[in-house]
Amino acid sequence: MRIAFAGNPNSGKTTMYNALTGMSEKVGNWAGVTVGRKESPLKEEYSHGQEVIAVDLPGAYSMSPFTPEEGITSEYVRERHPDAIINIVDATNLSRSLFFTTQLLELGVPVVVALNKSDINEKENTVIDVAALEQKLGCPVIKTVSTEKTNSGLKELVDKAISLNGKGQVAPYVQADIDLHDKNQVDAEDRKRFSFVNDIVSQVETRQTLSSKSNAEDRLDSILLNKVSGILIFAAVMWLVFTISQAWLGPLVADWLVGYIEGFQEWVTEKMADSPAILTTIVADGIIGGVGAVVGFLPLVMVMYFLIALLEDCGYMARVSAVMDPIFKRVGLSGKSVIPVIIGTGCGIPAIMACRTIRDERERRATAMLSTFIPCGAKVPVIALFAGAFFAGAGWVSTVSYFLGLVLIFLGALLVKVVTGYKYRKSFFIMELPKYKIPSIKRAFFSMLERAKAYIIKAATIILVCNLVVQLMQSYDWSFRAVEEGMEHTSILASIASPFALLLIPLGFGAWQLAAAAITGFIAKENVVGTLAVVYGLTNFIDVDELAMVGGANEISVAMGLTTVSALAYLFFNLYTPPCFAAIGAMNSEMQSKGWLWCAIGLQLCTGYTVAFLVYQIGTLITEGHLGQGFVPGLIAIAVMACVVFMISRRIRADFDRQYALHGGKIPA
Amino acid sequence: MTLLEAEPEKTYTIKEIQTDDEDMNAFLFRLGCYSGEPITVISKKKDSCVVVIKDARYNLDSLLSGAIIV
Repeated sequence: MRIAFAGNPNSGKTTMYNALTGMSEKVGNWAGVTVGRKESPLKEEYSHGQEVIAVDLPGAYSMSPFTPEEGITSEYVRERHPDAIINIVDATNLSRSLFFTTQLLELGVPVVVALNKSDINEKENTVIDVAALEQKLGCPVIKTVSTEKTNSGLKELVDKAISLNGKGQVAPYVQADIDLHDKNQVDAEDRKRFSFVNDIVSQVETRQTLSSKSNAEDRLDSILLNKVSGILIFAAVMWLVFTISQAWLGPLVADWLVGYIEGFQEWVTEKMADSPAILTTIVADGIIGGVGAVVGFLPLVMVMYFLIALLEDCGYMARVSAVMDPIFKRVGLSGKSVIPVIIGTGCGIPAIMACRTIRDERERRATAMLSTFIPCGAKVPVIALFAGAFFAGAGWVSTVSYFLGLVLIFLGALLVKVVTGYKYRKSFFIMELPKYKIPSIKRAFFSMLERAKAYIIKAATIILVCNLVVQLMQSYDWSFRAVEEGMEHTSILASIASPFALLLIPLGFGAWQLAAAAITGFIAKENVVGTLAVVYGLTNFIDVDELAMVGGANEISVAMGLTTVSALAYLFFNLYTPPCFAAIGAMNSEMQSKGWLWCAIGLQLCTGYTVAFLVYQIGTLITEGHLGQGFVPGLIAIAVMACVVFMISRRIRADFDRQYALHGGKIPA
Repeated sequence: MTLLEAEPEKTYTIKEIQTDDEDMNAFLFRLGCYSGEPITVISKKKDSCVVVIKDARYNLDSLLSGAIIV
């Protein structure tokens, strides 16, 4: 049988789903974490050997959807006929939640109400008369605390739901037969439903702590939501997250890990002493070296994932979203765009999916288009590598990378606003401020392990294969003869990457090796590091101090033949050009418009190119007193891009004006 | 008056939602924000405010606070 989990946003559906199925779907303390449907069988201890599938759905306030993710929920419970519904009700907010409950009860599918977060009610001395509520609703009601191991009420809840399989449901409140197209009739009917709910609540709930009274959380909110202190605190929090993970704790652990990887590589090389040289190169340098270079950065990423999980769990995200709204609105985005941006520091794919909670289509698409400018976890190794090799591990490189990412989001949003003629539309912002909670260290730890696992799997599959291919393409020429030393430019890789390298000359890095690394980066951004490791035969990217001591000079920067200015340009080029293909795929499915998708990819390419061009040319002018190579061709390339943007803008605006002319100045729905 | 002129830490009764944006009206409705219902202002800033509607706290922007007449 299938049991659907439905309820208001942030009522704890996914937390319960995870507890019952043993899955580790993303949870967080704000409304709208789950944006898609998830299915998994219940754990044996709950299903008693039967096949019971739990279906986790995005939160919804009512059966009439407003955002795409709410649509998933109402469509599922209406059309897919689950065998039972577990309606998760936030016990601290009965008066709002029961509106949706009474709608679910009308579907004829047996419903069990889970009064979740009952522990908070106990703390606040709010008493709910469960027996009376059961009687009023006409369905079983069970108190639950999903975050607890014992006495969670989950066993009883599931047993109840399973026992109702195949039975029907009598609704306590049935919507009158009205014309659903008549707004006034629907309104009047919904009012009646709410007053039915209000009646129930007044009879079953006794509150000692009135929610309308100001409390300590409100005082904290007044600081976090204040325009000045709120934004300063947000900047400080993010700076701490990046600094701890990428400058303090992360490298410390990474240093230790890299020692082991190197030891392993040496050991393998030794063992393979009798094998053909080409095989040793492929296994030791290509596979272990390339993958090892990527895995070496894992601790940095893990520490960051851990800290972000803590942030997501405590209730801070909703506050950031609220405090940033006025600023984001100015450039045509919404406060809700902040959430994808923060999630995007971990991975671009969930970030793009998180855009689904943004109601306004244009804001949603623009956010999906821009949120990958913030460097994701896969770009951390790239940043760390360049910071280490060219800037003595300076922390400012990482800070600037994130800050510039944010600036590009703003500029990009402004551009989208200008191009699409945003001034015609107005959107409103409302964000529920959930109760704060002490973040669970355990959950953050598991969330970190989960993502670390994904990172390692990626390194051992996609990145390994890419490195292998790069290694082979570098070792052979087109007639499949091994490339001799000094003749590297005749290799397959060199001949493919060289034309691209030409385009990159105005950016200061016209070497085919660097072009190849940037290209493999589109498959997965970690590949930039992996490929550089392979093409330059380097492994240890972390412990640069040691390298400097051994080699007298910095081996990596010498091997790559880049100046610090062109290295920075190359780093930014990799950070701000389009994300990996997987993220582009996510963009495609969220935007649901080929036009927007191509504009997004185009915008990202232009942005990466322009930023790198400016950094290299201006940087060279400052450090060496003259412009860099290929200034004029680069300028022409950028002028062409600007023309294309201008033409697209004209076309969109012409379309727009036509649309408005047709509607006589009224905004089309 | 609108919520923008309301005083913090006071509970008001919503008179109407003044907007031609039907979506906004319907959206607020589902949260229990409609005429006749109580709304408490917790804090207020120039262009946003925090309110309590049906036991939940929300941050509203100026567009919404200006549309809610109490």
